[in-house]
Amino acid sequence: MSSLSTRHKVELIAAGFISLFFIVIFPLLNAHGMVSDFTINLWGKYLCYALLAISVDLLWGYTGLLSLGQALFFSLGGYMMGMYLMRMIGDLGQYHKPIPDFLVFLGWTELPKFWKPFSSFPFAFSLILLLPGLLALVFGFLAFRSRIKGVYFSILTQALTYGASLMFFRNDMLMGGNNGFTDFKFILGHDLRSATTQRGLFIVTAIVLLLVYTSLRLLSHTKFGLVQRAIRDGENRVLFSGYATAHFKLFIFVIAALIASIGGALYVPQVGIINPSEMTPDKSLEAVVWCAVGGRGTLVGPIIGAISINSLKSWASRAAPDYWLVILGGLFVVVVLLLPGGIVSIPARLKSLWQRVTRQPSA
Amino acid sequence: MRTLTRFFSINLLFLATLVCASAAQAPRDTIIEAILAKDKARKIELIGSLVGESDEAIKPLLTAWKEDGLFVYQTPEGSVSILVMLAGEKDANDAQAALRIDNGQPLLDAAGKPVHLVGGDLTAVEHDAELRGAMKNVLDLLALATPDVVKRIQAIQAVGFSQDVEKIPALEKRLALETDSGARKSLREALAVTRLKASDADKLTAFNELKDLHSLSSYDLIRTAMRDAEKAGKPELAEAGAHALKAIDLHRTKINFFGTLFRGLSLGSILLIVAIGLAITFGLMGVINMAHGEMIAVGAYTTYLVENIFGTGITIPFFGFSLPIPGIHATGWFYQTYFMVALPLSFLTAALVGIALERSIIRFLYRRPLESLLATWGVSLLLQQALKLMFGSNNVQVSSPSYLSGNWTIDDITFGWNRIFVIGFAGLIVFGVWLILTKTSLGLLIRSVMQNRNMASCMGVRTERVNMLTFGLGSGLAGLAGAFISQIGNVGPSLGQNYIVDCFMTVVVGGVGNLAGTIYSALGIGLVDQSLQQILLNPVLGKILVLVAIILFLQWKPSGLFVTRSRNLDD
Amino acid sequence: MLKVNQLMTAGALALGALASSVHAEDTVKVGVLHSLSGTMAISETSLRDVLLFTFDEINAKGGVLGKKIEPVVVDGASNWPLFAEKAKQLLEQDKVAVTFGCWTSVSRKSVLPVYEKNNGLLFYPVQYEGQEESQNVFYTAEAVNQQATPAIDYLLKQGYTKFYLIGTDYVYPQTTNLVLLEYLLSKGVALENIGGGFKKDDSGKIISAGKYTPFGHTDYQQIVAEIKQFSAGGKTAVVSTLNGDTNVPFFKEYAAAGLTADTAPVVSFSISEDEFRGLPAKQLVGQLGCWTYFQSIKSPANKAFVARFKKWLKTTTVPGIVKEDRVTCSPMVLSYDGVYLWKAAVEKAGSFDVDKVRAALKSGLSFDGPGGKVTTQPNMHLTKNVFIGETTAKGQFKILEEFKDVYGEPWLLGKFKAK
Repeated sequence: MSSLSTRHKVELIAAGFISLFFIVIFPLLNAHGMVSDFTINLWGKYLCYALLAISVDLLWGYTGLLSLGQALFFSLGGYMMGMYLMRMIGDLGQYHKPIPDFLVFLGWTELPKFWKPFSSFPFAFSLILLLPGLLALVFGFLAFRSRIKGVYFSILTQALTYGASLMFFRNDMLMGGNNGFTDFKFILGHDLRSATTQRGLFIVTAIVLLLVYTSLRLLSHTKFGLVQRAIRDGENRVLFSGYATAHFKLFIFVIAALIASIGGALYVPQVGIINPSEMTPDKSLEAVVWCAVGGRGTLVGPIIGAISINSLKSWASRAAPDYWLVILGGLFVVVVLLLPGGIVSIPARLKSLWQRVTRQPSA
Repeated sequence: MRTLTRFFSINLLFLATLVCASAAQAPRDTIIEAILAKDKARKIELIGSLVGESDEAIKPLLTAWKEDGLFVYQTPEGSVSILVMLAGEKDANDAQAALRIDNGQPLLDAAGKPVHLVGGDLTAVEHDAELRGAMKNVLDLLALATPDVVKRIQAIQAVGFSQDVEKIPALEKRLALETDSGARKSLREALAVTRLKASDADKLTAFNELKDLHSLSSYDLIRTAMRDAEKAGKPELAEAGAHALKAIDLHRTKINFFGTLFRGLSLGSILLIVAIGLAITFGLMGVINMAHGEMIAVGAYTTYLVENIFGTGITIPFFGFSLPIPGIHATGWFYQTYFMVALPLSFLTAALVGIALERSIIRFLYRRPLESLLATWGVSLLLQQALKLMFGSNNVQVSSPSYLSGNWTIDDITFGWNRIFVIGFAGLIVFGVWLILTKTSLGLLIRSVMQNRNMASCMGVRTERVNMLTFGLGSGLAGLAGAFISQIGNVGPSLGQNYIVDCFMTVVVGGVGNLAGTIYSALGIGLVDQSLQQILLNPVLGKILVLVAIILFLQWKPSGLFVTRSRNLDD
Repeated sequence: MLKVNQLMTAGALALGALASSVHAEDTVKVGVLHSLSGTMAISETSLRDVLLFTFDEINAKGGVLGKKIEPVVVDGASNWPLFAEKAKQLLEQDKVAVTFGCWTSVSRKSVLPVYEKNNGLLFYPVQYEGQEESQNVFYTAEAVNQQATPAIDYLLKQGYTKFYLIGTDYVYPQTTNLVLLEYLLSKGVALENIGGGFKKDDSGKIISAGKYTPFGHTDYQQIVAEIKQFSAGGKTAVVSTLNGDTNVPFFKEYAAAGLTADTAPVVSFSISEDEFRGLPAKQLVGQLGCWTYFQSIKSPANKAFVARFKKWLKTTTVPGIVKEDRVTCSPMVLSYDGVYLWKAAVEKAGSFDVDKVRAALKSGLSFDGPGGKVTTQPNMHLTKNVFIGETTAKGQFKILEEFKDVYGEPWLLGKFKAK
């Protein structure tokens, strides 16, 4: 019991330091020019990816549901934010018309009805939560009610993502088609292209990540968290014990969708573009890779995985562009086969290895 | 008196023969005169005079002229210009034998030897659109009697659509002689369409004739004629025209119906071949193989290599080293058999890759289905990259053999040969797999391991070998699918990615490990997809609706169409 | 211990950013921003190759203003947000003087804000839909009136009366087809003779003309059956803006249905010699193409260019360059022209500063490229010759017609009024 609380204490201190660094020190360094704008922007992106990875882990590591569709919710949140940002461009676009550029070159002269409410941030924000949430609710309800599980569930989520990406690629969805949304100018009155706004967005992302982390941490210590892990380990027994597992799974599915959606909404203003290639099944699989490599079943694993693999990707697409996919694929195979617990499990493994080595001579 | 008349008659006869001789100027000479004439109107008049002539020299000469094949040759000694045509095979210097236009004989030099000339060095006789139009006129009417049926029908249609009333006698004359049924139909259509520009009585008969023929190609012309009749205030004519159009619309609906049916079957067959391998591996071992798509790509690339080996060989950028692969320069029917050879080779190569994959990675993942999904996805990335580095990131060209090109058309419904082949082959494959699974000992072992792995192992079945062979079988089938896909689509490193999602859908809907289920599911998805495409006239919407339908279907039947029942609670 | 990892990576990145801002004195950094992996790699790697060749050629002659060109090659990986990130990297970290890059309109649109914010300069070489004129992009690309409308003129002259529009679903085909719709109507072609389908907005105005399929679409059976019925009356041409590898299943289906270049020719705007390498050339003989350059141009300048490029390919040691079966095509030549035009502008302005270079470009510079003489225009576009060609069994184009010195006009929507 005491060892648990020491571990707990160490974790709390570490989390505190890291959050302090990211939320306070890093932006300060940027404000004084010691860390470039480019770097802080890059790290903002990484932290958004960390949110996506956490949402995958919440379903996979904690509940045993491998969802290959989290990138869809990520993108939906991104699109909702994107629609708001597109409205905020006003008439500063390429054509100097009050409607978004892509509508102009599709031949529209005035805004379609469903675009009009997006000029208000509260509306956009509520839709960032509502749209993915409702979709997750409906899909999850249908899926879990019929006890679809395991591999079937994964393939179904893949189909959902694929179908959605096909829909969004169509230009007559009036959601930017293949080009998506880009050329953003203002958010909540601040100029999106200025360094201070980007820094602010970074800080907001870091804070959100911290909040999500702490709340999930707390959740995992409740009875709910126990049931969740029990579902992962043996769903039938949980059912026999009298729990309506479908409700639990649905709840978690919606929460995970919301987390991914918020991650997407923060991602879009920092990256400056959202387009349907963000919601293809490939992107979801990448998120799963981050989670697997970092260590699933933990909350810290996905964060580490997301940051390290994306840094690796940024480096590799510059240094060895032909071999990036080889590295990614190889890494994945190695991790799944040899290191199922991910990076997070390395210290524990090293420790046990060390113990085995040091214990040898006594025999 | 009699000598006078005789004198006059002889003279007259002589004059007449002279006139006839000059009137019966050989078409060759007419053409030469046309080439040399300066005035364009005169050129067109001369060419036009060839109408009705049946000299067999006309066609090759006019065709050559149209295609920049007639040249002016200056003799090296003098300043004599001779008009020549080049013919025959090109030799090592790119030169061909030259034929004189005026008599069709080979051009001889001063020593009497045949001259060979290079086309690129000579000036071609010029032509422009107007001259070509005049030539076309002549050639079209000539073509009404071409021995080749397809060309004849094309010529008939061209004459008919020009709606030139003057050509009606020529068409009627041909109809009396024509024996081929397809050409007869075209002639009747051409006559009717031309009559649309004649008198009102003719127009009425024409409309009724076209209604009976319900030919698609005359739709626009009927519509124009009908509109003209409406504007001119002739309601009976307009009504006849409307009836004709309606008949054609009905015909179109029939074509679309059967066409959709065929397309649905062919798409379903492709899905079937692609998915059956996955159904087997998934059903047997509970392993989701996301690298299944790459097995398809391996099969497609094998077909590409075989085609080139049968041909002139190819150089591939093998991991940075240009690797030349020699060809055996086969020709004729032997070359066309390359596809038949490619089929078993695709199966084998993919099976070998699959077995290698199974031995190295998959066998550690049997009881962990989610991990197998992820690990095989990693492998799929590796394989894609390997293919890219072996063959280049570009798509590669794979052509179809002659017996798989073209189509079989009955009553305007087109059935492509390669798709008929796919449907047939899918049937064969299903039969073959059924045979293996039910009649061979391997099949028995596979089925037993599928039902209860542990028990089978206790009974002495070497489950590891069975796994290996089954995975090989499943991958080999994917390779076969790849060989077919190379005939109808792209071959590139990411070929597999296009088919993998559809493949999964088919397997999941059909029920895992179930052959019958996969068949029904593949055909069903194929038919629904094509029907939606036809009804909505939109390819993407159809696909999206199919996906939604599958998701809803799985609510109703979560384990697919046919469920492999087992007593195990967790299955 | 795990969190220390993160700290260290952060520190390392910061140091790296500082370090890379120092560059050598006698070189000038030039960015190459293309997809070297992903779906667009097929087309874009050739542009990277020709750019590296051009830089070597210029460096061998002394460079630009005495400085050697130092290329900074980054991979956009067919991922549009990554393009934006790489563009930021090039401009803010590497501080390149100019960038040559982008292929798809999506990639260009996603990097455009970055170039405008940092006042950078991008040379864009690939035929596009127009409706854009940024001061930070120089478009060596074909505008719609340098590719699409000349092709339509040629078809109308040959007597074609019905046109079927088909394209990939993104901004370039959609916009081009809207312009072509107006153009065809203005030339007297009736609306019912334009095939593919129309989409109208609430007021009845046509906002989309033609049939559209997504990238990577493989099933063209139903569409080809529709084309066959549409072209049954003859005199029909298919106008295709299908992009990249969707052309293969389309043409295979087209050939299987018995359609040929004689019965219903296809003029494709996105197939150049480079894309041809992956298509079944023997089944496509006689189809049409329209570009501002063909490899089969018989000028001495072009022959020399092709020879030099092939020689460079043999001797280059850059990894990943495919050396077999290489061809040259219009986007490659427009990239080549772009580099030389930039060099001329820098030399005229006497500086690498973007504003001065832009002013020099706008003043009207000419260059004798492999496709003929090209001249810069004040609207950041390029005057060039337009060629119409017919495909041959060897994957090349036989030139049928040439239009000289066509002025590039990007703003064409709404310009052609129906009769």
